[in-house]
Amino acid sequence: MLEIKDLHVAVGGKEILKGLTLAIAAGQVHAIMGPNGSGKSTLSYVLAGRAGYEITQGSIRYNGEDLNALAPEERAAKGVFLAMQYPVEIPGVTTLNFLKTALNAQRRARGESDLDAMSVLKLVRKKAAALKISEDMLKRALNVGFSGGEKKRLEILQMAMFVPKLAILDETDSGLDIDALKLVAEGVNALRAPDRAMVVITHYQRLLNFIVPDRIHVLAHGKIVAEGGKELAHELEAKGYEHLVGKAA
Amino acid sequence: MSRTVASTLVDELAADVLPEDGAPWLDARRADALSAFRKMGVPHRRIENWKYTDLKTALEAVNDSGAGEITWKIASVPTGVELFDLANLANAPDWVQVHLGKAALADAMPAASLVLARSGFAIRVVKGNAVSEVLRLEFSGAGHARALIVLEDGAALTIVETRTAGTGFSNIGVEIVVGANAQLTHIRSAAAAPDAIQVEDVAVRVARDASYRAHLMNGGAGLSRLNLRLTLKEAGAGAQLSGVSVLGGNLHADVTTEIYHAAGQTRSTQLFKHVAGGKSRVVYQGKITVAQGADKSDSRQTAKALLLGERAEADLKPELEIFADDVKCAHGAAVGDLDADSLFYLRARGIPEAEARNMLIRAFLEEAVAEIADEAIRATVWKSVEDALPMAMAS
Repeated sequence: MLEIKDLHVAVGGKEILKGLTLAIAAGQVHAIMGPNGSGKSTLSYVLAGRAGYEITQGSIRYNGEDLNALAPEERAAKGVFLAMQYPVEIPGVTTLNFLKTALNAQRRARGESDLDAMSVLKLVRKKAAALKISEDMLKRALNVGFSGGEKKRLEILQMAMFVPKLAILDETDSGLDIDALKLVAEGVNALRAPDRAMVVITHYQRLLNFIVPDRIHVLAHGKIVAEGGKELAHELEAKGYEHLVGKAA
Repeated sequence: MSRTVASTLVDELAADVLPEDGAPWLDARRADALSAFRKMGVPHRRIENWKYTDLKTALEAVNDSGAGEITWKIASVPTGVELFDLANLANAPDWVQVHLGKAALADAMPAASLVLARSGFAIRVVKGNAVSEVLRLEFSGAGHARALIVLEDGAALTIVETRTAGTGFSNIGVEIVVGANAQLTHIRSAAAAPDAIQVEDVAVRVARDASYRAHLMNGGAGLSRLNLRLTLKEAGAGAQLSGVSVLGGNLHADVTTEIYHAAGQTRSTQLFKHVAGGKSRVVYQGKITVAQGADKSDSRQTAKALLLGERAEADLKPELEIFADDVKCAHGAAVGDLDADSLFYLRARGIPEAEARNMLIRAFLEEAVAEIADEAIRATVWKSVEDALPMAMAS
């Protein structure tokens, strides 16, 4: 589903990703682990199409298509979803209105008809209950005044509503207490499906106790330096990144 | 050679003749206004307070058509509101004589309107009378006009003022007196007027425990200046000001507020949001003065401008003068483009760029319009915002 080959990405003229190669098949959950500054967030942004992330070499193919040729909104409509590490606060846009606008924009781009307000509300309510997102939160301005945990839960709610084909979770575990972490993990696990791929980006092994990946890649200095099954996470937990990062340098 | 509006204005105020309209009680105030105007002259950009709004140059560029008077219209006078037509000054009741022209000397333009206005009105709500019906006021046409609004102690009123586009130069001077414990809500909405030069000066005095709330929606004009001068006279007096300017093309809008905390335990808040597209120019100047001894007063001021065109301009000038020791003052001003993080977030969720920009621009303005408590009035003002947005967003 996702095929990244020899990817080099520069931000502000500085090369951050230096030849990253990665393939993820439908139905799989992959984890990307790595220390701070290894290029994890750069990878997530470049997949979502953020401006300012320049691909200088290599390619990203999504279902055979050149992902880099698509605008962020086109990627979303084609099923790419990035749960952001720092969800943006947008005063003046209510959460519910945002969810409706985004959902219908994606539907329209795919040639589907708009869902009316009532149907959207029903859908939101159904998904929100499982994530313990209150009606009050939905009426408030998007992410404004939300706690860290609330913001992350709202990201997962969006994922549940938009039912993406490729979901990338960028440090969704950061700043979460154990209860919130479990809620988020349950939300993610509920979406595991044979036609869906997920990339879980994290610094810590903790999240992977709850979302068990099929494969783990270790990213350091802009490259994959180690790969393995779920047991790799425990090894990293025990030994730290040092011995792997050292190899790449 | 035809005369310009500027030369007519100066000539009219050079003559040593006060209007003979049977109001000798106004003579001294008019004479003071006349000398105040002569001292200051037509405001121009070398006067600090008019730096971004060169009225003189604008008036010199317009030929005087000798166009008549400003028309004011109050479609229906709510029960509990007394109305007096200033065209009939000879019969002015006491309350008009007490207040009219008391606050006209601070600037050249209200001084000019006090001397030259031949039309205008005064309204009063008597002590303890809370008027629930909204008073709808409309100004149109060119020329000078005066208005006086008096709320006696404990009175309450909501005024919705609209300024129609029209052409030519208009200069309106409004005086507002808010008595102790009284509450005035003042909504002003001005439609885009590319062929007009519009000046309005609003002088407000707020007494003990009284409140003045205003929302100023500005669609801009060829040149537009709204000057709001407000004095919080006594403890407990408060002002809540908000407004939006939405401009495109070559339009100009200047909102200048001067708030004077004369007494302690007074509070003022200001939230102004401006959107400027095309080659338009938006100006906000906000001066807050806290007098000596006005302790425990609280003032907050936020002004933000969003530039949608590369050739659009925003000038935001907050200014604080604090002579008291124990006060709270918070102010912030920022000019910028739409937030890139917000735009990316919306697009990454599938919302196309143009639609995402639309959402963010509306959200930006909505925050200030939300300060209007009344839902129906808020909807009306929002409609004017929607009317003005296409021009601002066309580059």
